Amino acid sequence: MQQATREQFFRGLKAGVPVMFGFIPVAIAYALSARQAGFSALETILMSLMVYAGASQMMAVGMLSTGSAMGPIVLATFLLNLRHFIMSTYVMRELPEKTRLPQRLLSAFCITDEGFAVFSAQKDENRTMPFFAGLAVITYLSWVGGSAIGAFASGLIPQTLLNSFNIALYAMFIALLAPGLPGKPKLCLLVLFTAALSALLGRLMPASWALILSTLAGAAVGAVFTGESAPEEENLP
Amino acid sequence: MNPASSAFSVRWDIFLLTLGMCLVTYIPRALPALFGGRLRLQPWAQRFLNLIPCAALTALIFPGILNTDPARPWIGIAGGIAAALLAWRRCPVLVCVLAAIGVDFVLYSFLP
Repeated sequence: MQQATREQFFRGLKAGVPVMFGFIPVAIAYALSARQAGFSALETILMSLMVYAGASQMMAVGMLSTGSAMGPIVLATFLLNLRHFIMSTYVMRELPEKTRLPQRLLSAFCITDEGFAVFSAQKDENRTMPFFAGLAVITYLSWVGGSAIGAFASGLIPQTLLNSFNIALYAMFIALLAPGLPGKPKLCLLVLFTAALSALLGRLMPASWALILSTLAGAAVGAVFTGESAPEEENLP
Repeated sequence: MNPASSAFSVRWDIFLLTLGMCLVTYIPRALPALFGGRLRLQPWAQRFLNLIPCAALTALIFPGILNTDPARPWIGIAGGIAAALLAWRRCPVLVCVLAAIGVDFVLYSFLP
């Protein structure tokens, strides 16, 4: 590696350290929920390796444990992760023009809310391929490593504490949603509308379909009536 | 779902689910790479995509949070309120999650 390339790579690694501290505990919480839902340790880690999107992994575990079928889980995952399309569009535009397609495709796999937030906050001189690679390596390893720790530690944790982990995913969803709401009355109205719709549809059809329909309807109504942007998400791959 | 038979087993249905999730997550991430970042979206499409996480998170929270413990909906509500209060004060996600777990752990430990 050339000196400049190496320096950029390590700068990327360093920029990813705060993300690492965010990812590892959330990954452990995911893995404990997955084990609690009946996943094997290997299945738990495999999902982190292949999907690398925390909220949707939590959601899949939650939906499986309420008896959902596979189709709705995949569809809900698609909807939840569609936001990475926007972030990827931005990152791809910022990477140097000469960046090759294989490097772009590999970088695309590592687009997360966090990585996007860190990368977009960089000065122009840091918007390089080696910098993004360093950032991607440390964040991906944190997520997979945290999942492995949680997957193998679950047997050591008492049942009362494991039961308390059932709230973890909802707490995370709330923590992602709430900070974007103050000062945005239209967005708050949209949340109330979507919550009411979701509760209503939940009585009429299986929970997974109610989730998908109320998400689409909520976002569509919002796109027509509010024109406001969604809250910035933090701490999630 | 029946629990896995051992720590290292991988069931076919879980593997296929993971593969499906992998594809539907990677494709939207990869499309802009193929366009080389030259893609522009209509404003309404951009707004719709921007609002998806907010709507999805809301629908994920309600009414699911009431069923964290189906016999005791207040367990979910208590944890949720703890997380919401801290999130409102702009605490990091991890702090909110740990606080909610802590509140529910105390409730489970000291209440019937």
